[in-house]
Amino acid sequence: MSLQVKIEEREPGVYVVAPAGKVNTDTYAELEKKVNEVLPQAKAVIFELKDMTYISSMGLSVFFRAKAKLAEKRAKFLWVNPQPQVQKVFDCMKVLPDAMVASLEEADEYLDSFLDGVQKGQIDPRTPHDEGA
Amino acid sequence: MMKEPKRMLLKRRLPNRLEHVNAFIKEALDRFANLSLPEDDIFHLKLALEEALTNAMRHGNRLNPDLFVDVSVEMEGRKLVMKVKDEGEGFDFSKIPDPTQQDNKEKPNGRGVFLIKQLMNEVEFFDGGSGIKMTKLLER
Repeated sequence: MSLQVKIEEREPGVYVVAPAGKVNTDTYAELEKKVNEVLPQAKAVIFELKDMTYISSMGLSVFFRAKAKLAEKRAKFLWVNPQPQVQKVFDCMKVLPDAMVASLEEADEYLDSFLDGVQKGQIDPRTPHDEGA
Repeated sequence: MMKEPKRMLLKRRLPNRLEHVNAFIKEALDRFANLSLPEDDIFHLKLALEEALTNAMRHGNRLNPDLFVDVSVEMEGRKLVMKVKDEGEGFDFSKIPDPTQQDNKEKPNGRGVFLIKQLMNEVEFFDGGSGIKMTKLLER
């Protein structure tokens, strides 16, 4: 087994998805299946990538599809801690640079302020400025 | 100028099933291990090989399990040359969309070839696009 996927609900509707291992032709479907289980109820999904050692274009497609599904309902997509080789693949493909944050703590702060703003009516999640991440 | 001597490292005819992609890559990695390559090079070769084989099986041979993909890995002096050839009709590679352009970012096609071009030093298509030749210059 070259991929394991841990999912944690950090707070209601905010999920951390942590793939460990290789996301390639053999394993991308497993990651996608797990991600799809949380997307319907997600307000935000943070991909914690510190243990993801490899990604191919099949794996990238999982991220693109998840981002598109989240964007449809104005939910957030973020990723943190990619390994250097994976970061290089993301850089080559100009993958979602606006969705990268430096750490889980920063993701938490960002999402807290986003969700706070939504609750207080200061941020309208339907406005275009939220579509990037 | 004298031509560099060629040395075949690996040559296989793979049944057109995706489970053969990573089995072949493992075999290729064993051969790369003997070349004492930097980790970056190995990562690039592995990824380019996976992209080319997956494209050949999915798009070239359209996942037809009765077809085959021919793949070879060869040294030519300081160059490592990988060739992948499917039995499909080929394609016009000039029409592959640039997946990094905003309008194409959500489109699933083109990412594999784009990645290969980023990771390898030279990329050529042959036989009407049903074959790809990928060359990496090795620093030794």
